[in-house]
Amino acid sequence: MLRNDLLWVEKYRPKKIIDIMGNEDAKASFIEWLQNKRHNKKAVLLYGPPGVGKTALVNAAAKEYNFTIIEMNASDTRSEKAVNAVAKPATSYMALDNFSDTIKTKGNMLFLDEVDGIAGNEDRGGVSAIIKIIEESLVPVIMAANDPDVSKLRPLKKVCLLIRFQQVRIPLIIALLQKISSLEGVNAEFEALERIAQNSRGDVRSAINDLQSLSEHDHALTLQDTLMLSSRNKDIGMDETLREFFSAKSVGEASRLLRYSSIDYDNFLLSVSDNLPRRYTDPVELAQAYDSVSQADMFRGRIGTENWHLLKYFFNELTKAAAVNPESYKPFEFISPPIRIITLFWTKGKRSMLDGICLKIGSRCHVSKQTAKLDFVPFVKEILKRKKSINLIEWFKFTPEEADFLIKMSRF
Amino acid sequence: MAANEDALMWVEKYRPKCLDEVIGLKDIVESLKAFMKKSKTMPHLLLAGVPGTGKTTIALAIAHELYGSNWKNFTLELNASDERGIDTVRDRIKDFSRYSRSGFGDIPFALIILDECDQMTGPAQTALRRIMEIGSRTSRFILICNQSSKIIEPIQSRCAIFRFSRVDRQAMKDHLQYIAKNENVTLQPEAAEQIVDYSEGDLRHAINALQTASAYREGVVDEKTVSMVIGEASPMQVQKMIRKALYGDFMEARKTMYDIMGNFGFSGSEIIRQVQREIFKMSDLTPEQRADLSGLIGEYDYRLTQGANSDIQLSALLSQFAKFGKNIEETYAAK
Repeated sequence: MLRNDLLWVEKYRPKKIIDIMGNEDAKASFIEWLQNKRHNKKAVLLYGPPGVGKTALVNAAAKEYNFTIIEMNASDTRSEKAVNAVAKPATSYMALDNFSDTIKTKGNMLFLDEVDGIAGNEDRGGVSAIIKIIEESLVPVIMAANDPDVSKLRPLKKVCLLIRFQQVRIPLIIALLQKISSLEGVNAEFEALERIAQNSRGDVRSAINDLQSLSEHDHALTLQDTLMLSSRNKDIGMDETLREFFSAKSVGEASRLLRYSSIDYDNFLLSVSDNLPRRYTDPVELAQAYDSVSQADMFRGRIGTENWHLLKYFFNELTKAAAVNPESYKPFEFISPPIRIITLFWTKGKRSMLDGICLKIGSRCHVSKQTAKLDFVPFVKEILKRKKSINLIEWFKFTPEEADFLIKMSRF
Repeated sequence: MAANEDALMWVEKYRPKCLDEVIGLKDIVESLKAFMKKSKTMPHLLLAGVPGTGKTTIALAIAHELYGSNWKNFTLELNASDERGIDTVRDRIKDFSRYSRSGFGDIPFALIILDECDQMTGPAQTALRRIMEIGSRTSRFILICNQSSKIIEPIQSRCAIFRFSRVDRQAMKDHLQYIAKNENVTLQPEAAEQIVDYSEGDLRHAINALQTASAYREGVVDEKTVSMVIGEASPMQVQKMIRKALYGDFMEARKTMYDIMGNFGFSGSEIIRQVQREIFKMSDLTPEQRADLSGLIGEYDYRLTQGANSDIQLSALLSQFAKFGKNIEETYAAK
């Protein structure tokens, strides 16, 4: 049960334009369009990843500039008929209330959310109907989409002003999470908020959701709690999907499985890599499977944050890893949670200690931290071990803990 | 040579303060001194070359020549790989040029030394080019990099480029002997030879090895102590990781890889660079086998630049090593 009936994402939804974090350029061009330029281009398409404030901006702007929003989103069907039924009346008259002082609305604005979700068959004619609406509209038309490259939307792009939203920067998200934590009386470790923010990939909405679900029990949030984050997400079908993936009889079977699954592919890629040596004990098979995983990872790299049309190649390569030798499959226990997260978690203190040492060496000897680590640390460590020279420790300005750490540190 | 007496690391203590003291870089020093004569028109400089060949030393010596003992007030030292991005670089340069104003005495500019520029991405370098244009009225840039080919053309064309090659063996031996004498250490000729072999033309590495060796035994550095230092400074974990993989223990090899990343914070590409170096030191492999392995490493070094997860690419490389090791084993068994 939530302590409060409101979800935090609702409770802290930005009410004013100024409250929306990041994407300053996008915000500015949208307002500029709304105030001045919409006579040149009647419609605007806001596009970018989820949870970065597209819908929030439209709502806040409507409030500040006194528009009434008529909204349609992906949950409504958007065939030509449906679009015309809702959108036409909304766009075909200007506000008459301009003459009265009591109601200060400037009229309607039509907001079509998730336009990339217009499906092929059910929404037949949807796009052309929207274009017609835009051409005839007397009120501003605003659309939002995650992926503007969907081929169906191409005709739309010609008649719109395109405004791009980017992922919200991690430090901004951390700051917001800190603010919410303190307002909600949650005692949160900075590292934990940092990890939630990083995990969100710039999606503010999911970050706030994660913060609420992790801290709703006891007003406290530690880094340890956030480890549960990935394993909790993982539980939703991850083990099941992995099992079916590794036991697939053919590439086709694995491919069907991934197509219908809704698991997070980044986590899935990591889990496949972690568990591959348990699935293939023969080195030749393992090398072949890892080659496919490596190819898949390269496609993931090329996809980055925008080339999502490459995702099918990512899946193609990944499925090859499932069926290198279907006969050799034996059930095995999965490695979980991901090795990388566990390793990096337990060694964080060591790394930051070493980082601090390297920074001090770097400023003394005019080298980067990386060079200090490689070219100085092994030597300085030996010198200190052989002759515990207080002078040298003082010269580098090492703290006693740092000197001690260096001397006891294991070799690279 | 005037030693920097306060410094306790010998690389700093014996770092030359002026251009005349720099060893083994005659041509570069001569042309730089020509620039110095008309210091008002000194161009931006790009110093390129492998590590430990004197690039930073030359840059700092120029600062000394221009501003004397006050050099720190007029010089901004930045390291591209330590700064968090081009924006912080820009901010720091902006702040610096605001406070340093117009330079010192006759010198109408302040000096900005930017090390490891080849670590910067293309867009960051383009931004740097703008910063150089804006700042060139009040500042001169000395850019330092390992490979000038990784620096975008527009920056190269704005700089006088100097290329540094590996330090000459004899010059290095002489310099080590000079330091040893100053420190009252007897450096045996065979030991000096060994240090020079080990350091592969990297003077910084050589001096660090000498100082470490001298900490082992009072007053004498011989072959035995140098061997111990080299042993201590070699990447044991990386060797272990390679061996485990070649002997077919993939799980253990991968665990070692995660340990290296976790405990020491090495990046994937740094680990791969060390793997490449260690493979060529493995005397139990034939030259053909080393070449084959090196080919594999090259492939995954490339994939690393394309991929999203360096630990996955390294794991894939280790699985290739395990397969390679199995092939060797089978070839032996057949014989």
